[in-house]
Amino acid sequence: MGREKEKQNPSEKALNLLRTRLSNPNFIFKPLSDSPDSNYSKLKFIISSSVTEACNNSILLLGPRGSGKVAVLELVLGDLLQQYPEVISVIRLNGLLHSDDNCALKEIAQQLCVEHQLLFSKVASFDDNSQFMIAMLRECGLAHKTIIFVLNEFDYFAQGKQRLLYSLLDAMQSVTSQAVVIGVSCRLDVDQLLEKRVRSRFSHRKLLFLPPSKEDTERFMEHILSLPVDSSLPHNYTVEFNARLKKILSDERFKELINTYLSFNSTIGHLVRFLFQAVSYLDLDVGFLSLENFKTALSSMQRQPKLECIRDCSILELYLLVCMKRLEVKEQNSYNFNSVMTEYKSIHDSFQTSDYYARNVCLRAFEHLLQHQLISFADNRGHNQSVEFRPVKLLISLAELHQGLKSYRLCPMFYLDLIKIGFWILPLVQACKLHKIPAFDSFLVCYVNYYCCGASFLPLKMVKVAFSRQLS
Amino acid sequence: MPAIADRNSSPFKEMVATRSGDIARFNGCCTPQKRSLRSNAAAAKESPVSTPMKLKSPRRRLNSNPNSPANGIKGDFNEKPMKKNWNPKDFEQMRAVKEALHVSTAPSTVVCRQYEQKRVLEFCKVCVAQEKAGSLYVCGCPGTGKSLSMEKVKQQVIEWATMEGLQSPEVLAMNCTSLANTSDIFSKILGKHQPKKKLTGSTSPSQHLQNLYSSKQSLSGSKMMLIIADELDYLITKDRAVLHDLFMLTTFPFSKCILLGIANSIDLADRFLPRLQSLNCKPMVVTFRAYSKDQILSILQERLSVLPYIVFQQQALELCARKVAAASGDMRKALCVCRSAAEIHEAELRECASNLSLTSVEGEFISQQTAPALEIFQSQENNTVRIDHMALALSKAFRSPIVDTIQSLPQHQQIILCSAVKFFRGGKKDTTVGELNKSYIDICKSSLIPPVGILEFLSILRVLNDQGLFKLGQSRDDKSKRVTLKVDEADISFALQGVRFFRNCLQ
Repeated sequence: MGREKEKQNPSEKALNLLRTRLSNPNFIFKPLSDSPDSNYSKLKFIISSSVTEACNNSILLLGPRGSGKVAVLELVLGDLLQQYPEVISVIRLNGLLHSDDNCALKEIAQQLCVEHQLLFSKVASFDDNSQFMIAMLRECGLAHKTIIFVLNEFDYFAQGKQRLLYSLLDAMQSVTSQAVVIGVSCRLDVDQLLEKRVRSRFSHRKLLFLPPSKEDTERFMEHILSLPVDSSLPHNYTVEFNARLKKILSDERFKELINTYLSFNSTIGHLVRFLFQAVSYLDLDVGFLSLENFKTALSSMQRQPKLECIRDCSILELYLLVCMKRLEVKEQNSYNFNSVMTEYKSIHDSFQTSDYYARNVCLRAFEHLLQHQLISFADNRGHNQSVEFRPVKLLISLAELHQGLKSYRLCPMFYLDLIKIGFWILPLVQACKLHKIPAFDSFLVCYVNYYCCGASFLPLKMVKVAFSRQLS
Repeated sequence: MPAIADRNSSPFKEMVATRSGDIARFNGCCTPQKRSLRSNAAAAKESPVSTPMKLKSPRRRLNSNPNSPANGIKGDFNEKPMKKNWNPKDFEQMRAVKEALHVSTAPSTVVCRQYEQKRVLEFCKVCVAQEKAGSLYVCGCPGTGKSLSMEKVKQQVIEWATMEGLQSPEVLAMNCTSLANTSDIFSKILGKHQPKKKLTGSTSPSQHLQNLYSSKQSLSGSKMMLIIADELDYLITKDRAVLHDLFMLTTFPFSKCILLGIANSIDLADRFLPRLQSLNCKPMVVTFRAYSKDQILSILQERLSVLPYIVFQQQALELCARKVAAASGDMRKALCVCRSAAEIHEAELRECASNLSLTSVEGEFISQQTAPALEIFQSQENNTVRIDHMALALSKAFRSPIVDTIQSLPQHQQIILCSAVKFFRGGKKDTTVGELNKSYIDICKSSLIPPVGILEFLSILRVLNDQGLFKLGQSRDDKSKRVTLKVDEADISFALQGVRFFRNCLQ
């Protein structure tokens, strides 16, 4: 038991270490900021040169959410506060809270008072606050202290009359004040939102925070997930852990997984969330990360609620969904319960299936589907009509239905065949429309109907070939 | 990360530092140095800020640059000394250049605005001499020197009045954005007239002023008041009463105010003060036109002439002036672009220096001694800011970040943008989320990329909406929200032309 405990402890410690790292924005953004070309260096250069040269500056940080704008800014400010301890004071405003001018000036006055240990009076008026701010700017200018204004959610400050922005930027035009205004926003066109007076006073420096390239991402993942060799963890455990990690990271399947994950959101914040999930799936008995952890994390992050709904449906409900899909494929876009029942009956007649349920059972299944929100009523008016006559529409797409059926535990294969029609028929019909072959169009619809109600399962390939021959 | 000043200090400076005693340049902390300069500037009020620099630099130039003693001597002989190229690694010079180009530095003479200034000055002189009230309206685009010129006129009027022996007028200069209430302007004017008197509650300040200006004996013998109201359009209210009353103040028989209003719109007087026309006292309008290329060039040269060395190549300045004049004629932008070009140049040199010092085998001191010598050999001509630096600075200032962002978007977001472009080609301007989803799925299918589900599709749309590429409307049902494309189709095609898939898709 002692050995088991020893074996568990390093993996627990490792897990805690990794999780702490992934929750600490400083640690995450430091490796990406090391090169002199990075946004960290550029931002630091601009702010420190404003501080040392006593000139005013303004800058915008732009980029999608989760790309590290505020994290890098905090890194820079932290470093500068250490470097010049008495010279910098930071005022932080947020557009979601302080977009109103009165509120913003009050907040500025309050933060200035706290910084310089003055008493703040809550009943000070707008005039008093603005005069206080201008006086403070002048005093700090004479004392060679720089005030850094950080405006988060900058686009909210650009609403309304933009008086706060104007007064801040105008104060920076005079020689007596020494301030830096840093705006952080995720809108790329935020300087088009500014009034032309404010835009003219704003120096057009923008720092763009773009998502990192593929190589940078790989290097970043390796850096973050490798355990440090000189920590309190046993040495051979750390070496083994890092070796296995390297093997996983260079595996093709892992690369594909990461590419799929990042193909719709490639910011660092998104990636870190995924890594956190994967690390949390670490099996404490094994003690090392494996590819399975990442796969489980991916599937848990890409949840599809509608698919889970489908998995909970009964066979009859699935049957009804398939019927509705076939009706849609046959270009019958508005259908109600009665037409679905007709289709149901026709399938039963043509394919001689074993299960045929009574109408009221089907109605119950239909109402279940309504409750699950897999289908819904197509109009908002007919509350007086009964459920059977109101038009309904499907709320899931063909792909989702197909995937749901495939992953259903007991789905009869026959349903899949029924559904397969949809995959290629619909584009074919659309292609017909595109090429304006009306005669063939109607022929195709008849053919489809015939096939659906007819007997033999013609292989799809033959029909495709016939169609393409017709087309050429 | 080493402090910025350390990079730029050379051993030669250390020699000079010991000579000019009280200036300490070590530890990257420059505050003592700044303090000495500021107090110098405060003491010498008439001369511009850059004069102390001028006195110190020629001496330092001779000491720090071993190749230049000849030049220094040559300068003594000519009338107009041939200007040397600057040394961008000299921290002091860099600072001086940036200060000369900063927007907040007021130049001693205002070039290119003499005509407009003369007009305003003449108007003020007439008013002061005849003790008559009058109003003037100054208009022009932002960055055309209006506030700056008014400052100069203010000083000139006071000087002229003292010289002529007349009573120099009181001046009230204010920015209308700092008023909490638009009618506070009247209480401010009243405060200037009667600083000690407290206002009784019954009459409003504007009413009080009107009474004051209507009776002869209340203000006889008092001075004229010059009111300079900046950003006048903040006073425009729904019933236009405040602006109207303000200009009407000058029409009273015993009024003593000379009103100079500054704003951006040319037709403010026509649109908001129609009743003044009937009283035949419309304000005189002085328009400050946007700067032309030559004007911008001459202003830049004037600013740089206070420095004793050449900083920019002539073609670089011309390129900047041409581009800014074509875009907006805004002087602030031109200054900003020039500063940013100087910084790019500095950054480039720093990188060269760091590469050189990395490649040297010996210790740091020795490399610092050999490196500057090597560079002086190689790049004596390259010290000025060239056209390519200026071009880079211009592209940074004028280009929108949209193209870069689109190129760095992840794949599915780019596909969604493409599908939106294709969809809106037909002439429709907006569509619903459901339709866009269908179009997106079609494109994915045609290239065998598995499309994302509806939930991720919605979250991608929200991300693109946050970034300002799409505009997502409001609706109860997610699928019927309206979507509009906010980026130009040409930008998207240009950004994605490098990828064959999108090229085929968008053609």
